[in-house]
Amino acid sequence: MAVGNDEQRVVVTGMGTVNALAADTGQFSGALRRGDCGIGPISLFDTATFRTHNGAEVKHFLPRAAIPAEFSLKRMSRSDVFALAAALQALSQAGLHPIPEDLRDEMGVVIGGGAGGLLEAEDFFQDYLRRGGQKARFSRLAPVCCASTANHLVTKLGLMGPKMTLMTACSSGATAVGVGRDLIRSGAARAMIAGGTEPLCRMTFASFNALKAVDPEYCRPFSGNRAGLTLGEAAGILVLESLAGARERGAPILAEVLGYGVTCDSHHMTAPDVGASGAVRAMRAALTDAGLGPEAVDYINAHGTATPPNDLMETRAIKEVFGPRAWGIPVSSTKSMHGHTLGASGALEAVVSVLAITEGFIPPTIHCETRDPECDLDYVTTGARSVAPEVVLSNSFAFGGNNTTVIFGRFREEGVRHE
Amino acid sequence: MNRRVVVTGIGMVTPLGVGKERFQNALWRGETGIREIASFSTEGFGSHLGAEVRDFQPRNFVSVKNLRKMDRLSAMTTASVRMALDDAGIAVCDANRDRIGIVMGTAFGNTELKVQSARILFTEGPGMVNPIHVPNTVMNAPAGHASIELGFRGVNTTVNHQSVSAETAIACAAMEIRRGTADVILAGGADILSPFFYEALCRFHALSPTDGGAEGARPFDLVRNGPVMGEGCGIVCLEAGERARERGAAPYCEISGWGLASSPSPPTGWPDNPRGFQLALERALRMAGAAAPEIDCIEAAGNGGREPDAMEAAAYERLFGGGPAGPLITALKGATGEIFASGGIRAVALALSIREGMVPPTVGLLHPLTPLPFVIGEARRRPVKKALLSGISYGGTYACLVFEKGGV
Repeated sequence: MAVGNDEQRVVVTGMGTVNALAADTGQFSGALRRGDCGIGPISLFDTATFRTHNGAEVKHFLPRAAIPAEFSLKRMSRSDVFALAAALQALSQAGLHPIPEDLRDEMGVVIGGGAGGLLEAEDFFQDYLRRGGQKARFSRLAPVCCASTANHLVTKLGLMGPKMTLMTACSSGATAVGVGRDLIRSGAARAMIAGGTEPLCRMTFASFNALKAVDPEYCRPFSGNRAGLTLGEAAGILVLESLAGARERGAPILAEVLGYGVTCDSHHMTAPDVGASGAVRAMRAALTDAGLGPEAVDYINAHGTATPPNDLMETRAIKEVFGPRAWGIPVSSTKSMHGHTLGASGALEAVVSVLAITEGFIPPTIHCETRDPECDLDYVTTGARSVAPEVVLSNSFAFGGNNTTVIFGRFREEGVRHE
Repeated sequence: MNRRVVVTGIGMVTPLGVGKERFQNALWRGETGIREIASFSTEGFGSHLGAEVRDFQPRNFVSVKNLRKMDRLSAMTTASVRMALDDAGIAVCDANRDRIGIVMGTAFGNTELKVQSARILFTEGPGMVNPIHVPNTVMNAPAGHASIELGFRGVNTTVNHQSVSAETAIACAAMEIRRGTADVILAGGADILSPFFYEALCRFHALSPTDGGAEGARPFDLVRNGPVMGEGCGIVCLEAGERARERGAAPYCEISGWGLASSPSPPTGWPDNPRGFQLALERALRMAGAAAPEIDCIEAAGNGGREPDAMEAAAYERLFGGGPAGPLITALKGATGEIFASGGIRAVALALSIREGMVPPTVGLLHPLTPLPFVIGEARRRPVKKALLSGISYGGTYACLVFEKGGV
């Protein structure tokens, strides 16, 4: 069923991404369908002194080739550049490149932040430690703040709508998509650039290694021998608009954002709640928000980090929400291919979810090598399936006990079918 | 759903004191929280003043078990959240915990801890990075810790957009209550002073005295020469109006509108015109259904910076006319310094102004840059029915909220 009128319905009209598998959504869709693995040795920085050495690094991306010369890349961090490239792709697809003058005042940006310019700040900080505060060039810290991405996008695109950066750790990108939708629904904006961006950097890599949460080889979501996540980097950006606005422009409608739910565990800062209450409530809140019952969902894009507790908790949560149907719904973790991109992951996986709908396939979970008796759902382990889902539910869970679920649906005039 | 949103409780850990009584007394007396920095050495820096939180005893507010895992920013937040819930008379229990949430603002998170971790990583190596500290370097740590200590499990997000983090967080929280996903949301902001961050701001020439003169925070003053940095946390307990009415709570005020806007701007600088800020003001007034002449008081964003204060004043002149007849304008950052996610503390001050019919003076302001009716010297007694909370950030981001007396 549809929620509200055309002003209340929010649709996706453009998408863009830069990640370890691809530098645009066309390449990305192909890689996901093939089950490519973007994980390998990190070259961005020296990993010799770290416990592990692999990551899902963006290696074949040339900023100056991807971004027109009219956009200066000065004082932008790596993650800012990823986001700008992805945003320009999304705007092009939406037919908003350039953005019409009359839309600019009411178009905004919401970015789910991660490490921001930390990679560049690390270079600065090493210099600071060597030479001291008097000599170190503090101006290099300009893009360190994670708000830098949204600031650059607004300035470069000439926007005057709402601007915000939010962080709910590993679910930031998903939360940004949800908040972006709500800003449009509440009338605060007509269109939003919503998404997330995250760079690989030494601090993050050291942190997850210190937590012993990283699989030294590659992550194996839902596998019996899973031993941790693989860190990745990416930007995933969506253009969101009210259905009324998209119609008026004659924009391509890729999918509808049907539901959004956010909860917290109130349990532990890093360990998921084995009772899965927070995740269950997030999925239910998103379903309620979408006006859908669990029977409407036909693909679950899992958080699936491949840490032993997360995948077990998420599996339990899916069983509780979907009951006996849980075993009949394909569930996959595309982190097995593009890594865990932290602040970007919810937005990157929003791109995956919409591609599943528009391109008509269920992406696989790769590297699911052995059986875990407790993780016994259909994890799509033998390759992508050519099935076109109507409704996709995407989970993102995070440090701080945060849980965000977003639901996307194939766009139908009358709203999503409700059996 | 389109429910009304009211403020039923407040909590704060500030340079003007911890808790409502002390904060309020300092506010009406026009005290300042700005002094020479005591918690670290400022030798070799261009600035030496700061508004530090000095008398905070986290154990009075946070259980020992959870406190051991918390950093200072999370402890300030958790303490403020507990005060706000107590002030609202809300006990978190099984019946309500899933309908109570938090939307927190922090511009920079725990800068001290991040720098410590970086120092260890680059001097001792990655093997020496302490996993215990990792969760607290994440921006949403304060919201996570507060939810664990207080036991609420609803909406939980954190906004990190520089100096408008907290104003934006309060707007997002109000949006969530309106759409019915929570009945109660603790919303506000916190940031802390840390030696490295203070040094960075000095080296950026972002603090008073940026261009000579005496160091000090002088919002909207002709001789202002940059902000002084502060720290602290302020939380408002937002509640659905109908719920507050049913349980007989007496709200401080209603939050009836908010406006978010941005403008193209140099990444760490200011736009050359007030249009973006005006848009945010107009959007907030429109949502509240309020006309500019109805506004009695403005808690301004002014921090003593040369460019932003001029831009902010120009927008008020355009919206309210340039004369002395418009709303009273006060800027708390003269007393608390620039706290970045300052909107929580400033929302708390504005809620108190509405309840008490009193507008605090702008500490540090002697010679206003325009004839606008700034409150100077002493607090002014005046009924405040409708008021504005202005949020402005470098980089061109704006978040304004309309607060109204009554609300249930």
